[in-house]
Parts: sequence; structure tokens; C-alpha cells
Amino acid sequence: MPSIQTNGLTKVFGEDVVAVDDLDLTIEEGEIFGFLGPNGAGKSTTINMLLDFIRPTEGSAQVLGIDAQENPKRIRERIGVLPEGFGYDGNLTAREYVEWTVQTKGATDDPTEILDEVGILDDADRKVGGYSKGMQQRLAFGMSLVGDPDLLILDEPSSGLDPNGIQHMREVIRERAANGTTVFFSSHILSEVEAVCDRVGVMNEGRMVAVDTIDNLRDQAGGTASIDLECASEPDNLGLGSVGGVVDVTVEDAVLSVEVEDPSVKVDVVNHVSDHAEVVDILSESTSLEELFNTYTGGGRDSDRAAGEAEGGDGLADAQEVSA
Amino acid sequence: MSTLAVTRKDFKGVRRAKTLWLVTGLLAVLSGLLAWVAGDPGRMASDAAVARDLFNAIAVLMSFLLPIVVLVACYLAIAGERESGGIKFLLSLPNSRRDVFVGKFLSRTLVVGSSVLVMFLVVIALSLVRIGTVPGVMLGIVALVTLYGAVFVSIAVSLSAFVKTRSRAIGSAVGAYFGLIIINLGIPVISVKSIVSYAHHDILGMARNPDLYNFIWYLSPLVAFQKAKNLIMPLEMRSTMFRDSFRNEAEIEAAAMNGREIAPELPVYLTDEFSLGVFAFWLVVPLAIGYWRFQRADLD
Repeated sequence: MPSIQTNGLTKVFGEDVVAVDDLDLTIEEGEIFGFLGPNGAGKSTTINMLLDFIRPTEGSAQVLGIDAQENPKRIRERIGVLPEGFGYDGNLTAREYVEWTVQTKGATDDPTEILDEVGILDDADRKVGGYSKGMQQRLAFGMSLVGDPDLLILDEPSSGLDPNGIQHMREVIRERAANGTTVFFSSHILSEVEAVCDRVGVMNEGRMVAVDTIDNLRDQAGGTASIDLECASEPDNLGLGSVGGVVDVTVEDAVLSVEVEDPSVKVDVVNHVSDHAEVVDILSESTSLEELFNTYTGGGRDSDRAAGEAEGGDGLADAQEVSA
Repeated sequence: MSTLAVTRKDFKGVRRAKTLWLVTGLLAVLSGLLAWVAGDPGRMASDAAVARDLFNAIAVLMSFLLPIVVLVACYLAIAGERESGGIKFLLSLPNSRRDVFVGKFLSRTLVVGSSVLVMFLVVIALSLVRIGTVPGVMLGIVALVTLYGAVFVSIAVSLSAFVKTRSRAIGSAVGAYFGLIIINLGIPVISVKSIVSYAHHDILGMARNPDLYNFIWYLSPLVAFQKAKNLIMPLEMRSTMFRDSFRNEAEIEAAAMNGREIAPELPVYLTDEFSLGVFAFWLVVPLAIGYWRFQRADLD
């Protein structure tokens, strides 16, 4: 039984703002699935329908085999959620929040362990009102882990976290997944999804434009990798054309930008250049996921809309995403 | 049970909010002041009469003050969770929307009930100390004021379920106070009765129908409160309302000439007892509509 399945799931806000358009998506048990897309693509709207925060205009969604609209409470018993746009009652403490979660879920977790796992045990008895965004995010993540859920739904989980926090969260997610938890994880940041997910889906303008593993997507999109080398002086006559796999070379002042068709070619480029010039710094970008992303999303909603086209409607959809 | 978990958490949060303590304190101080002054040693009337008057005065004060307290305590009950995003946590956990709605209603009823209780404890203590007694009508008044508070909790929580932002919640709370209290105070021109009569008689050209106007006026919880109080108070302290609907006006006047008092006869929908029906209406109908609406809302 798939952990998440949607059939023709559609949400139209107002008269004609199509936030999610005829979405068919299947997430298998035990997967870590990355749900990718620019802001306003409909990710949160989709998640909100899975959680029955909002009701689909058409189509249906099953979570853990249970209809999301008919019996959301039974679904909530078995999932952990880090929602987007959550807010706390600032008068309660983090410990009280975790205790409330444990109690409501009928779980047996020790609140202290949960608070420790997400690194806020030292501040557990302070009122949440005084928490930084990152600490609030950690607490929300901790709450989602209570009761060892069968499925974790994490909506933009790393927002507000510092690099350490993000790293730690990834480890926890991998651990949980290794124990059989399905993870459904949305993000607009590519590197994050790449680092954790088995499979990704890219959403754009309410439609799923690609679903595959990162590697396959990269192949299909035909993206190239690039490497920047900063040299001591402006390089000249390097003869890079003789290195196999080099697609393009540009020189700007002392910085050499080389585009290669495969990441493995980068080493050859560095070796070749260091033989002919003094290399001061190396900046390497893995197969430009950014490009990959742009291939599928056309650079996101902001850039590809013709001027005047559905101006008001687009603004509304964006606002939805921001406030959601 | 998750309804109670919602209630407990909400109550805990509200209990720590300063605004509510301030409002409760204000309520207690105002009522305490009334009690202190009523117990002035130079008073003329008997202790029993003074104590009874005091509780009557407290009830009158509560009839227009308590709705403010309740609206302040409840206007954000659900709208606030929607605006802040607290609803996301509530509904990510195994709570149904019904659990949230009912839990909020119970918690806020408890909050308002506690405020009323604190206020009455102050009044009762001062009544005992300064006057030396509490009146027989005390329990009835406490029960009535509590019921009245619950009616407004029902109205305020339901209104809160209708809106998704703080500003609209404030607007609807002010509107509710205006519609349910201000225009029912009996102020000439801007009272419900004048407005309805104007629309019905002067604009539509229908024959005057005082029973109808009185009935519409009676739909206000404020009027129902005054009428319900008549059920508790002794005959001589009852407020006379709807005189233009009395069926035995002539007999009452004749009896009054002879120094006797006889009870007015009114259509059943204008009797004191009917106030309980009005309360039941305001307790149940807003909750039903608010719940219906909340069940269907997109909470994003």
C-alpha cells in the first residue's frame, strides 16, 4: 500500500486560480521523497490537502490508505507533521508543547528525549514566545517525531535552521527512514533535497513536471557541470580544447569558467590548468541543479509569466504560498 | 480524549495571558467597589434588602459588562489560531475539527466561568464582611450570570470560527456587541424596537404590532437576561417590560389604585419564562452555525 496516493487532485482558489492541477502522485512505503518546486508552485497547497487543512476542488487523496477528507483524524494518529506557517502560543513552554503532543497522540515518548534529540533541551522550560525562528523550527520538528509515525510530512523543514541544524535534521531523517518511516519532504532548495532524498518530484504551476531519482533527472535534463578557477594572472593559451569533455571556456579577468559535460572531467581540467598557470582558488558546482531545476520550472513563476497574464490571480497564488 | 487535550492546552495558554487577568481584575474591582459602598455603615434599609439590592446591581452591571469580557476572552479563540498558524499544530495531531471547535468552546467557557467566579467570591466576601449577610437570591444570580456568560462564549467562539484574521475578528466582536447589547438598551431612536417599528409601520405602512416589536427585542440576550432575572427576584423587584403588550393593563392599573399588585398577562413568547428559550437559542444556534462553517473552511 502506498503511503501517499493522489488521484486527479485539484484545488482552485476563487474562480480561476488553479493552485494544484490534476495531480497524480504515488509515494511508496519507506521512501524519502523530495517534493521540489519554486515558491507558489502548489507544494503547500498539495500538502494542506493531504492533511485536510484545505479541501480539494476535485480528485482525492489517500494517506496510508485512508481517505484524507473522510477520516483525517485516523491519518493524524499515524503521521508526524512539520507544517509550514505554523505558530505557537507564546505563553507555553517547549516542554509543554511536546507533552501536549505526546498526550494527544497517546504516545509513550519521553519529552526530554525528544527535546534532546532536536537540541533544545537546555531551553525546554522557557516560553516559546522568546524562541528564535530556528529553535521554533527545531521544536516543530521534534513534535513531528513523537509517536514514531509511519509517515513524516515535512513542509520546508529547514527554513530558519542554521547549517548545523540542517545537517542534524538530515541525520535524524535518515535514521527514521532507515527504521522504515516514509518521509515526504518539500523544499524549494535543491541541494537539500539532493542530500536526503531517494526520489524527487518537481512541481511547477500546480503540475508535477518530473518525478524520478536525482540521477535520472540530471541525465534527462542534460545539464552540464561547471568549474571556476581563479588564477594568479589572466590565463592565456591554455589549450583546454584538447581536454576531452570540455564544452565551453570563458575567461573574465583572472577567473576561468569551464563548462564540462560530466563532473568527472573537472579533475582533468584542474590538472591541465595547474600545469599551465598558477591556480589560486577553485570553485566547483556540482551538476548545476539550479539549471536542472530551471529546465523543469522555467525559472519559476516570477520569470516566465508574460506581462499582464493573470496578474491578479498569480499574485493571489503567491500570497497563498507565503501565508500558508 | 483529544477534545479535552485541546481544552487543557488552550486553558493553560489563556490562563497565562495578561489581558485576561487585567479584565478579570477590573471586573472584580468594579463589583467589589459596588459591594463596599453598599455596605456603608450609615445605610438605611435592612441588611437583607441591602444585600439583595447589591446582587441585583451586580447583575445589572454584568448584563452589559460581561459580554465585553467574554468577547475579549474569545474573539481570537479560533481566528487567532488561524492567523498565527497554531491551527496547523492542532490539526496535525490526532484532533478532528470538531475536537478543536468543542475544545475551544469548553476552554473559553471555563475561562469566563472562572472570571465570574472570582468576581462573585469578592462580592460575597465583601457582602459578608460589610453587610453581614448574603441574600437568598445569590445562587440564582450567580447561576444566571454564568449562563449569560456561556451564551456569549457560544456567540463569540462561533464568530471567531467565521473569520481568519485578527482584524476581522475584532470587527465582528464589536459588531456583535453593538447588535446584541447597544441597540437593545432601550435608548430612544437607536433601539431595536424603534428601528423595527419604523421599518414595519412607517416604511412598509403596516399596522403597528407591539407584540412583534417586543418579540424581536426579546431575542436579544440582554433582554432575556433582564426577564430571566425576574424569575429569581421577588415580585417588587421585577422589571416591567413590554407594557404595551400587557393583556390586562386595565386590571393592573385598577389594582394599583387600590394598592394591590397583580402580575401582568402576556403572550407566551413574551413571558419571563420564555427567556430560557431565548438563552437556549443563543447557546445552540451560533455553535451549530459556527461548527458547520468551521468544518467546511479552508484553513491555510
